[in-house]
Amino acid sequence: MDTAFIIETLVKIVVVLLVFSALAGFGTYFERKVLAFMQRRLGPMHVGPYGLLQIAADGIKLFTKEDIVPAGVVGPIFKIAPVITAATAFMAAAAIPFLPEFTIFGYTVHPIIADVNIGILYILGVMAIGLYGPLLGGMASNNKWSLISAARGAAIFISYEVVTGLSLLVPLMIVGSLSLLDFNEYQAANGWMAFAHPMGFVSFILFWIAAFAETGRTPFHLVANDHEIIDGFGTEYSGMRWGLFFIGEYANMFFISFVMAIIFLGGYGDGTVMGALGLLLKVAFFFFFFLWTRAAWPDVRPDQLMWLCWKVLMPLAVVNVVITGIVMMF
Amino acid sequence: MSLEQFTDRNVGQQHYFKVEIDDYPQTGWEKFKQVTRRALSGELFVGLWVVMREMIKFDIHTVQYPKEKLPIGPRYRAVHEMQRLFESGTERCIGCGLCEKICISDCIRMDTRIDENSRKEVTEYTINLGRCIFCGYCAEVCPELAIVHGPRYENTSEQREHFILFEDMLTPIDMAIKGEQKEYPGFGAVTPHEDARVKKTPLAY
Amino acid sequence: MEAIAFYLFAFLTIVMFTYTVMSNQALYALSSMAAGMIMISAFFFMLNADFLGVVQIIVYTGAVMALYAFGMMFFDTTREVKENNSPKIVVLTLSALAAVLVVAIVSMPLMAEHITAAFPEPAGVVNPKAVGIVLFTKYLVPFEVAAVMLLVAMIAGIVLAGKKMDRSLTQMKDEEIAMMKQQDAERKVTL
Repeated sequence: MDTAFIIETLVKIVVVLLVFSALAGFGTYFERKVLAFMQRRLGPMHVGPYGLLQIAADGIKLFTKEDIVPAGVVGPIFKIAPVITAATAFMAAAAIPFLPEFTIFGYTVHPIIADVNIGILYILGVMAIGLYGPLLGGMASNNKWSLISAARGAAIFISYEVVTGLSLLVPLMIVGSLSLLDFNEYQAANGWMAFAHPMGFVSFILFWIAAFAETGRTPFHLVANDHEIIDGFGTEYSGMRWGLFFIGEYANMFFISFVMAIIFLGGYGDGTVMGALGLLLKVAFFFFFFLWTRAAWPDVRPDQLMWLCWKVLMPLAVVNVVITGIVMMF
Repeated sequence: MSLEQFTDRNVGQQHYFKVEIDDYPQTGWEKFKQVTRRALSGELFVGLWVVMREMIKFDIHTVQYPKEKLPIGPRYRAVHEMQRLFESGTERCIGCGLCEKICISDCIRMDTRIDENSRKEVTEYTINLGRCIFCGYCAEVCPELAIVHGPRYENTSEQREHFILFEDMLTPIDMAIKGEQKEYPGFGAVTPHEDARVKKTPLAY
Repeated sequence: MEAIAFYLFAFLTIVMFTYTVMSNQALYALSSMAAGMIMISAFFFMLNADFLGVVQIIVYTGAVMALYAFGMMFFDTTREVKENNSPKIVVLTLSALAAVLVVAIVSMPLMAEHITAAFPEPAGVVNPKAVGIVLFTKYLVPFEVAAVMLLVAMIAGIVLAGKKMDRSLTQMKDEEIAMMKQQDAERKVTL
């Protein structure tokens, strides 16, 4: 473990943190703009040209707002919950290769913070811990809406972990590795996972659906459904604590887009500049799709969500795994 | 948007139809059929396409309010204005007190006295806009078309007391002399074809 | 380096679980237990058992603790719990047992010197594969038995939770509900 490695890792951590915190801010801007255009509105227009400085205005507002810890909450847990959400979202980024490796000033950079050989499991595990943000925040808030939201969040998360895991099993079986770099290399040689194998396509769709539940985006936006439970677990939060929940949510969206693009849609391919651009384009598409569905689709009820998970997606995923096993045996 | 378009904006052929709600599926097989039908009929993609189409068409309907404003109708009842006589520029208000009397939210207050020419003169006139419900009765009852509802609907101030000043509502004297004061066409005013409609003067009855 | 990490995580784990036991506040207990579970996974990582470490996180922190939290929602978690102190004999017995256990664990390295692994880790095989090989050769029967046991538990859960699932109280008439209640009362056993 030499000094250069430590310095490189630290720099990479800082870069990922900064870039994705900023991207989370831009994500809110894009979301507001895209939703507005789809609803024949203009969206933010007043702060800066085309409202671009709205992000800065939001940031200033969140940072300078009074940090209220209401009476009757469980203080320490209440304070730590948003940090869990944001921290786990960024921890998941450690095992994601964001770009192919490139050389800068004669030094080869691997744009992955830690190439652990169980990368995808690690991401799943850290995202599973991410559940604790909404859960603890909701339970500590001493607010009935927060509690309902926490209950829904826990139920949805546990249920859709199953679908996520089972749908990931198929590409894992085909590639035979848990490292995202191996996924990329396999697909560079054999074509995209989602289109090279029919089972891969099914698991791609299943994982995509589950991604909406894992990030809590609109068709499955039940943890903070504005019209029935206010802001859910965020109801009692204000200022930057609430902002951390927000950053966590958007960072999660970006990271799960990366995971989908790398596992199912070929990642950065052969590692050329075009491949890197392709990866970013795929990620942008997935992120845009998150916003697109929010404009187009209604929310489902919690019981429908559970029904979908346990009676449709999970059997499909299991059948998919079994078929893959049979195909791989012969 | 021109005024005509604006006033006609809600006029049209509305085709109302009743939504047909099927019975809820009872058995498991019916539920399964319903789900398959809904999942495979591509309704989700229709929704996606509709919003995407609107985004591509980019037919934006936002009015960027402080920069651009929609025209308001002539009968719009915004903040009151006190008119002046065209020739002399004196106030039209004769202090009859009808507006004070009819005001249903009791927000008009006036004080009068007999001046040295033994004419009635208004010394104090206030409208408490914090109470006013903009019903327009004062403009309708005014025999002299002195108090009218103007088109100014943006009123912000640091203090509520600023909303009651008579001087703010009165047409400035220089504007009146230059003839820039507009006659009020709206609520309570004499309509343009009033002459034709009047058959006899009241005294003839 | 490794020793420092070990003692750090050992200390943290013990602190977390002590807090779980000692705290009067249900939420503190819950979160410190979840944190303790994560700390335990650190030991797996230190032993190069990455796979087991992540599985520890996913299963215990992600699923089991979340289910505990789910059960916890029936109580008001923002209030402190009033405890009934159990009889002293029970406390003493349990502490003695725990002490014996600790002695046994500490003396383990002495015994472990005489033990050789029947299935040494094959060279050049990544961690998940090694787990798979061991699971499907040496431990195949326990693995299958555990699977059958889980299946039994699942079926039992469905039977317990799934009674009257085909009936909907919102779509039934009042008389039907009353009749259902009466039938249940006559049958004594509700299933």
